[in-house]
This record gives sequence, structure tokens and C-alpha cells, in this order.
Amino acid sequence: MAREFKLPDVGEGVAEGEIVSWLVSEGDAVTEDQPVAEVETDKAVVEVPSPVNGTVQKIHFEAGTVVPVGDVIVTFDVEGEAAEPADAEAETEPEAEAESESKSATSRAESRTFAPPSVRRLARELGVDLDAVEGTGPSGRVTEGDVRAAAEGEEPAAAEAETATEPAETTQTTAAPSTQPAATGSQEAAGRDRTLAAPATRGLARELGVDIDDVPAVEQRDGEAFVTAEAVQQYAEGGQAAQAEAPAAGAPRQYAEGGETTEPYRGIRRTIGKQMAESKYTAPHVTHHDTAPIDALVETRARLKERATEKDVKLTYMPFVMKAIVAALKEFPILNSELREEEEEIAIKQDYNVGIAVATDAGLMVPVVKHVDQKSILQVASEVNELAQKARDRSISREEMQGGTFTVTNFGAIGGEYATPIINYPETAIMGLGAIDERPVAEDGEVRAAMTLPLSLSIDHRVIDGAEAAAFTNQVMEYLTDPELLLLE
Amino acid sequence: MVVGDVSTGTEVAVVGAGPGGYVAAIRAGQLGLDVTLVEKDAYGGTCLNYGCIPSKAMITATDVAHSAGNAEEMGVYADPEVDVGEMVAWKDEVVEQLTGGVEQLCKANGVNLIEGRAEFAGNDKLRVVHGGDGQGSETITYEHCIVATGSKPIEVPGFEFDGEHVLNSRQALAMDDYPESMVVVGAGYIGMEISTVLAKLGVDVTVVEMLDEALVGYEDDLARPVTQHAEELGIDFEFGLAADSWAESGDGIVVTAADEDGETTDFETDKVLVAVGRQPVTDTLNLDAVGLEPNEDGRIETDDQARTDVENVFAIGDVAPGPMLAHKASKEGEVAAEVIAGEPAALDYQAVPAAVFTDPEIATVGLTADAAEAQGFEPAVGKFPFSASGRALTTGEGEGFVRVVADEDSGFILGAQIVGPEASELIAELALAIELGATLEDVAATIHTHPTLAEAVKEASEHALGHAIHTLNR
Repeated sequence: MAREFKLPDVGEGVAEGEIVSWLVSEGDAVTEDQPVAEVETDKAVVEVPSPVNGTVQKIHFEAGTVVPVGDVIVTFDVEGEAAEPADAEAETEPEAEAESESKSATSRAESRTFAPPSVRRLARELGVDLDAVEGTGPSGRVTEGDVRAAAEGEEPAAAEAETATEPAETTQTTAAPSTQPAATGSQEAAGRDRTLAAPATRGLARELGVDIDDVPAVEQRDGEAFVTAEAVQQYAEGGQAAQAEAPAAGAPRQYAEGGETTEPYRGIRRTIGKQMAESKYTAPHVTHHDTAPIDALVETRARLKERATEKDVKLTYMPFVMKAIVAALKEFPILNSELREEEEEIAIKQDYNVGIAVATDAGLMVPVVKHVDQKSILQVASEVNELAQKARDRSISREEMQGGTFTVTNFGAIGGEYATPIINYPETAIMGLGAIDERPVAEDGEVRAAMTLPLSLSIDHRVIDGAEAAAFTNQVMEYLTDPELLLLE
Repeated sequence: MVVGDVSTGTEVAVVGAGPGGYVAAIRAGQLGLDVTLVEKDAYGGTCLNYGCIPSKAMITATDVAHSAGNAEEMGVYADPEVDVGEMVAWKDEVVEQLTGGVEQLCKANGVNLIEGRAEFAGNDKLRVVHGGDGQGSETITYEHCIVATGSKPIEVPGFEFDGEHVLNSRQALAMDDYPESMVVVGAGYIGMEISTVLAKLGVDVTVVEMLDEALVGYEDDLARPVTQHAEELGIDFEFGLAADSWAESGDGIVVTAADEDGETTDFETDKVLVAVGRQPVTDTLNLDAVGLEPNEDGRIETDDQARTDVENVFAIGDVAPGPMLAHKASKEGEVAAEVIAGEPAALDYQAVPAAVFTDPEIATVGLTADAAEAQGFEPAVGKFPFSASGRALTTGEGEGFVRVVADEDSGFILGAQIVGPEASELIAELALAIELGATLEDVAATIHTHPTLAEAVKEASEHALGHAIHTLNR
């Protein structure tokens, strides 16, 4: 029997994911938990495992398509399993859904909900309020699939709402990258000899001028293809869409002389882009620069590094800087904050969760070390290493990149002294670290070569004044120049 | 505890082995529960022993005789000789086979059977008093109790059932010798069914009804063919009269009935059958002991899981609210057992079909057009007369019709009313349609076997859609 598999919510609140690649093809046998696709969400790439043993009956989206969470991405054929009615294919077609909604609204007098007894029982079993379920069956009848979809949670529903507000984006990305002619998303005629369908569904097919044997069946009953009214509707609309699309896709694209290569602006790259733009265009940035002489820190770190190595921890300067920042944040809590403009309030965070910008092949990621104030330097060091590694091999979870209250970016690891970091919005401050190097320092009328760390602190000037930024930086510098002070923290 | 009591424990105690109780017990047994079923009289309850089954046996037997003797139209001339004693014996065999089957099914499903009358002796135990000379008793402690004590015929003051002159339906169906004449008090479905049987056996029947029509509660156009046919069978209807008293008179009796103004009419007859309705049996249960009390109707209030106000006590069938119908009791029994077993069961049916086995039969399910309108639907109504049905005419029964009520907008079937041959069977398709949320088109587009009475269901659905073939469209 056919079993539909919807793009799961691979991380908290993820609304959509790009199918990077399919690891299986139609007709392939799969075992449970075998990865079938690589899906890239906002900030991570995950492998989506098969929920069943069976064969891949149909792959619904091509690689490169951005798919809303909750859409059916693949249909498995599972032997010996009871038929399961279509799982809300309507979701892939927001229009169809809207239509069935309005239909069912009118068909419900006195809030009576039409659903077969088996579905009513299932609803009780899954704790679903049947009256609150939008039916996708004929005339808005509630199907088993509707109840299962509702049971899978309010989250998919919220995600749907989100994608519904951005239908243009979804459909564009579906169509745009395609250089193949026509019909990526539209369905090919199935051309079966025999199709099972409810009489009303056959009527609908006639009405829409669709040959029911051509409608792709996502379901089987008794080994025969079973077609639902939604599938007919979808096929009918898809066919029209494909026709409209064809000429546009066929027109050659004009390229600049000398040629160019294009890379998709999607997934992580696009997320970074959006966030940078939002931060830069929302928060008035001011960047404060200073340099901390850190001879003592260099010495201390060199000494402790060996001890840390014994404990299998690679000790960099980062944990010291983070501890210094957290110590300073306690004195200047305004820098550990978030501005909630609509609520007209500035939230001063009680947690000290420091994000660390990590450059990866796919782009910038910001894993967060939680509760830095409660952790030893060694603990912080080991966590930073672990998170950075995870970010680079993209095994980092979404949760590990959330909850930050202040961010550190270490562009100095590559080189340079000063920069103007962009705040990791909605945080209000970010500290950029330049390269630690010997630089001339004037002291007591003498110029000497000292180890120095250039600092670049960007602040949201709506919340933080320049004086506070300077005082905070001074404080950080004091801890870095005299790291023994951190012992008091 | 009474001295000499034997005390046993059970997970589920079911009181009453009628179509509610025995079904509940069997389902509970299937679900692995330890079940004890207490029955004071006969397995199968009123339905199998004194109601549905014996009455249907008698209805069919008298139909056979009546049809055979009234088929001159088809070129059949016969004057069947009826041996009422043998007819009743055959009926008893059928009943015996069925009740024996119930007992076997209970045992096969691990149900402990105890004979006796049960009453509550606290909120976790029942005292069962065994009948007969021994008068022994025992105590059953239970975790859950399902009350399924059913109902009994209502007695009209002055007409105490004596089994000789004043009969209830049970006694009337047990007669092995029929009188020349009978007065039937009450023109409800029981009175009408038995009157028809009696009339077909040649009994001179007079129906006395307080209200001014028969089969109250059914739409006029459903009841009319039944009363008309009953009159053709020789049944006299006396509406607007309430049975008042009776007295012996010579070999027979005189029944006195009074109208609203107190004017009385006397009916000389052999016996009187009182069939004015049934009342729930709760008085033998000692409900006080569990803290329950019947409502105004004498029923025990329940929720949609058949649960009473007492957490571990359930009530099903005629003692619970709702129509007094065996199939409704069975459904409640299943649900109560499943709920006790922890399953997500509930009484969430859309409609309870009902059938009257008169001649012709009446069957209904779901909403009438008026009720649908009152509930805010815009009803689409389709009707098909049996006079246009090939199969109906070939059985010699062309009266009546199938009516389907649906929601105009969505096409969902909301109800149906049938009067005519095999109405009781035909209603099942429409009950299924309602439960499944089928539309008119679903039924209309389904091929129905030709030539059958069921085609009338399809035609009525098509009529509601405005494209019936064999009748003019609305």
C-alpha cells in the first residue's frame, strides 16, 4: 500500500527546506531509517530517513526545490500494509485547499461534521477534535488523512500558514532554477487502464475534463490505483499551470558578454543575506575600536594550553575572550539585550549565551555556548571546539544555534585588525576580534612591541550609547590585559 | 452480607442478558476482561424471547398464509389451513435456537453466566438473588458494572395483565389458540404489528387509541399506507378513546373506553391487548446503593461513553436515554465494554435506523426534511414510488415509496424514510450512507442490481439530484 511521506519539521520552527539531493530513485527498495534525501533548511543540512521498509513509488519534487514543511515529498509502496487514504495532498496546492475550505464551511450546518465512523474513532484515538478539522474529502468530508494530519500537530498548521503568506516565493523558487523545458512540478499523465475512485470523484473528473486514468494515484486500494477528488483537482490545475509555464521556460535567457556562472541564492546563503539585511537596515550600527595589550594573556594561555591538552581540550584565546566579555556584560547588562520595538521594551537578558560566528564552506553559522557565566574556561573551550566542528560538518542542530544573547566574531583568525561587524539581530551588540599579533605599543614614553588584540564592538545605537560601548570595551580590555582578574569571576 | 452468600469477584458485571447486555458481555470477554453476566429470566432478553424475534416469526408466518390466500391476482387460488399451535411451536424453535446461540457465544467468549436477579449492595458489589425454591443468593464484587435491565410493558390502570383476559405483547405472542375477537389498546408500532398478525389470522381486531392517529411520531405519508392496509385487513380504528375499564361478560369481556369529554364506548370482545408503550426497569436494582437515581423518564442518565454519574457504572439499552431499540442497545453495549477496556470508543453515531414491521413496513433513519430544515440545512428531497419499481410490482406490493433527504449544498445524505416492501432491509444502505458522509451522487452513481427494490434508493437519490430516470423530476 502507498504510504506518503511529508517533509518533516527537521528543526524547531523550520518552515521549508531545500531538497539538496535525492539519495534514492523511484523504484528503489528502501529500508527503515535509510536516508532518502538530503534537505537543507535555514542553517543545517539533514538527511531525511525513510520511515518504512518498502519501495520508492514516487518522488514528488526534484532536487533543488524548496518545499514547505508538511508537503508530501515521496510516496513509498509498503507491502502488506492497510490502505491509508491520501494524506492531504491538498497542502501542496494552497489554492485547492482554500477552495475546499470555503466549500466545507458552507456545507456545515449546525456544526455537524461529516466523517465516517472509522475516522471518528481514529480522531478519538489521536485526541483530535473532529469539529476543528478541515475536511478535504468530497464536499468537505473529513478523511482519515485529515485527522492524521491534524494529529501531527498544530506546528505543521502554523508552518502552512507561513508558507501561505509567501506563496510567490515558494512557487518561484520551484520554477526559476529549472532550465529544463516545462513541467517540473506538474504531473505526467499516468495512463492507467483501471482506476478506483468514488463516484463523485469520477463526476468531478468529467466536469474538469480530466481522464481519471491519467491522474497520478498516490494511493492504492486492494492493489489498484486509487484516485481522490483532490488529486483530480490538482491534476487539472497542474495541467493548466504547465501549459502556461512552457513558453516562459522556453525563452532563452540573456547573459552578459563574457559569460557568467550563477549559484543559487537559497538555503543558508539566502538566510544569511536576509538576516544581515534585516540587522543592518533595522539597527543603526556604531562600531567602537580599541586594542588590548595581552602579553599576560598570551603567557597564561601558553601555560594552561599544556594542561588543557592533557585533558584533550584545545585551548584557544576564544574562551578567555568570552569569559572577559561575560564578566563585562554583568557590569554593562545593556549590551546583553534585545530591543522589542513593537512591545516598546528593551529586554535585558539574564542568561549569558555567547554566539560564535563560524565560517563554514556553506557560509556563516553562529553556534551558541549557553550559560558561559556558569562554565569553566576549560568547559567553554571544549564546547566551542565541539560546536565549531559541528557547524563545519553541518551536523549542528538548530537548537544549538538558538538562544544567543551576545555574539563574538573572530575574523582575526584569517587576518586583519579592525572590522565593522554586523549585529546578530535581534541582539544589540557584537564583538569582533582582530588577529592577535605583535604591534607597537607606547607606554611611559616608550614604544615597545607588545602582543595585542584589536577589538571592534558594534552596537545598536537605538539601545546602547557610544559611552556605554566605550566603557564596556574598556572593561573587556582590562580583563584581557590582566587575565588574573578573571579568577575573581 | 447475608449468611450463606457466596462471594465472587469480577472485572465487569453485566446485569441483564438482552441485546445490550449480552453484546456488552461478549465484547468485554473478547477484550480480555473477566466478565460476569447476570440474567434473571432468559438469555436474549425481551428482544429474542418476547419481542422482536417472536413477533417477526409470527408476522412472517401469518404473511405466508395471508399472501397465499390472497394471490388470485397472480392466478393462485388457495385457502391455506393454519394450525396456530404448530405456528407458535415453530416460532418457539426459532427463539430457542437463537437464545441457545447467545448462551454458547457468551460461554465461548469466557463470560461467566449467573442466573438470578441482581441488585446493588454498595458501589462495588451486586447481590444476586437466585429464583426458585432455594432462594439462595450470592454477592459479586465488580470493578465495573453495566446495567442492562431493559424495559417492560406499561400497565394501564385498571388493566392489570392477567394473561387470560388482559394481555401484554409478550403474552399475546405466546397464545397458541387465537380468540375470535380482540381489542388492542394502543396504535403504536407494537400494537400495529400485533394487530396485523391477529387480523391475518382472522381475528376481529379493534384498535383503541387515545390520540387521533396511528403510529404517532412517523410522518403522515408513512403511516397512511399502513392504516389504510390495516383497514383493508378488517381492523377497526377507534381514535380519541382511552381505555378506561373492563369487565367479564358471558364468555368474553367488555372493554370500556372514554373520550376527552368522558363519553364512554363499550367494546365486546374476547381479550384485550394493552400495548401503550414500555418503561425502563430500574426498580429491582436498588440504585440508591450506588447513589444513582432515575430521571423523570425513569431512565438512568449516561454520557457519550454510556457512563452514568457513577464512574464505574454504565447503563445501556432501554434503561438509558434514547429510543428503545435492540440495535441501539447493542451499540451501547459494545461501546461500554470498549470504554471499560480502555479503548477510545464513544457513542458518536449520526443516526439510529428504526423499522416498523407492519404491512407495509416503515423504516426511517436520520433526519426528515422538516428536521433537516430546523437544523439549518437546506434540504434536497428525492422520492421514488414503489409503483414505478419493477421488482415491487413483481412481488405484488407496489405501494409506498423511498424518500431521501440530503443537504442541497453539499449533497450529503441526512436522512431517509421508506414505507413499502422490505423497508426494514432497504434502510440499511441509507444508514451506511449517512454514517460515511456519502453524497446523493455517491449513491446515485453506484450501480444497483436490477431488478431489485434497492433500485428505489438509487432512483430517489437521482430524483433529489434532479435526474431520475424512472420518475418525473422535481
